[in-house]
Amino acid sequence: MLELSDVSRHYQVAGRTLSAVDGVTEHFPAGSITTIVGRSGCGKTTLLRLLAGLTEPSSGEVRRDPSDQVGVVFQEARLMPWLDVADNVAFPLIGRLDRGEVAARVEEALMLVGLAETRRALPVQLSGGMAQRVAIARALAQQPDILLLDEPFSALDAFTRRKLQRTLVDIWQARRRTVVLVTHDVEEAVLLGERVIEMETGRVVGRVAIDLPFPREATDPAVVDHRRNILARLVGGTDPLP
Amino acid sequence: MSVRRILVPTTVFASVAAIWWLAGRAGWTNAYLLPAPSAVVDALSELTASGILLKHTLVSLQRVLLGFALSVALALPLAVLMSTSRPCRAVLDPLLEFLRQVPPLALIPLLILWLGIGEAQKLGIIVLASFFPVFLGFRGGISGVDPKLIEVGRIAGLARREILWRIVLPSALPELVVGLRISLGYSWRALVGAELIASSAGLGYMIIDAENLARTDIVLAGILVIGAIGLLSDLLLRIAISRVFPWLSADLEAARA
Repeated sequence: MLELSDVSRHYQVAGRTLSAVDGVTEHFPAGSITTIVGRSGCGKTTLLRLLAGLTEPSSGEVRRDPSDQVGVVFQEARLMPWLDVADNVAFPLIGRLDRGEVAARVEEALMLVGLAETRRALPVQLSGGMAQRVAIARALAQQPDILLLDEPFSALDAFTRRKLQRTLVDIWQARRRTVVLVTHDVEEAVLLGERVIEMETGRVVGRVAIDLPFPREATDPAVVDHRRNILARLVGGTDPLP
Repeated sequence: MSVRRILVPTTVFASVAAIWWLAGRAGWTNAYLLPAPSAVVDALSELTASGILLKHTLVSLQRVLLGFALSVALALPLAVLMSTSRPCRAVLDPLLEFLRQVPPLALIPLLILWLGIGEAQKLGIIVLASFFPVFLGFRGGISGVDPKLIEVGRIAGLARREILWRIVLPSALPELVVGLRISLGYSWRALVGAELIASSAGLGYMIIDAENLARTDIVLAGILVIGAIGLLSDLLLRIAISRVFPWLSADLEAARA
């Protein structure tokens, strides 16, 4: 169960009240993959933080099964600089699982993101993209019931991004856990979401069901159509595509 | 790179020695006030041969290590306590802030009255001088922890105590290391100060005794030994730290002062 019921989050900035999230009601069915798309500053990151329980709503209610484990991939890698790659991936598992299970999960997660060879490297020795892949592996190793991702691929080069988008879809298809991914990339939203939620100034302004089989190709005409329509709505009716 | 790292400081020291030698040779300096490098080397070998240098050095080293260890043993738990407990902070902060403003040397008379002129008084001065860099460094490191890393811990479901042990304390290490290095240097300075005032052994005593005997060469030899041991102990501390915490090496380079 993952639900937002009339949730708002306000911030006081220089005596003025800003609404990062404004009266959002949304249900994320168990086992679904949803993408949230919108411009920078539209409140999508705050929405994800509310889902993760990292930010308290100013009003409304976030409902989540307390037994559900949540994994989050942040915009930045947020690795512990004193731990090597394998220990960073193991970080959430230590003390929760026995040593053999931790090692197995770490290996599997590192294979998935293609970093098995760099398991002993320190974060300071990694490129930005590699660090982000470690962060993704850390969330995957938890095998969370709910996986929340905030622009997880934006720091990656196009090839790695494409590969990890595929990996995410594969994992989701294999495990059928709830996934919510925030992005400003409309193409990514269409490629990865069963459902795309469009956000603007803290509100949900549109919901699109993308009824296409996975894996999807960016060049598929149906994907291009969805992308064009969503973009057209978000930029206010002007179609920027040829 | 490593050749340069040795070559440059060696050249600097050699140049200073050369200028010093030249100044004596040319008659710019008074040989009594500033004996030639050769005289100081002679004094050093004489002190070494007689075992006097080793005796005083060991006494001083023992005091520094003990005082430094005491400081660290006091400062670390206190820094954690004050960073995590608001009541402790409220009670202890004003007291410690007051004490921090008082130079340890100003407390020497009081320490002599309270602790006598034996080892306890010297340890007391070293602790007073070296406590705050470690304490403040560790506290600063703890309060400077990246809240984004703490969120990673919260998401992983870590309890408050686990967040402290697994995120906050390790991320405070770089600043603690800087504090430890400063503190070790302060320990040396305070010790020599204490030994100058009231002592019957130690490098500080050796210097003041030589001054009374008008042996400037021994005074300079003592100063050289103190400086060299200081450099060496800092080097050993850095090596030890980079062995135990390899990820800190970059921070250590930044902290070289």
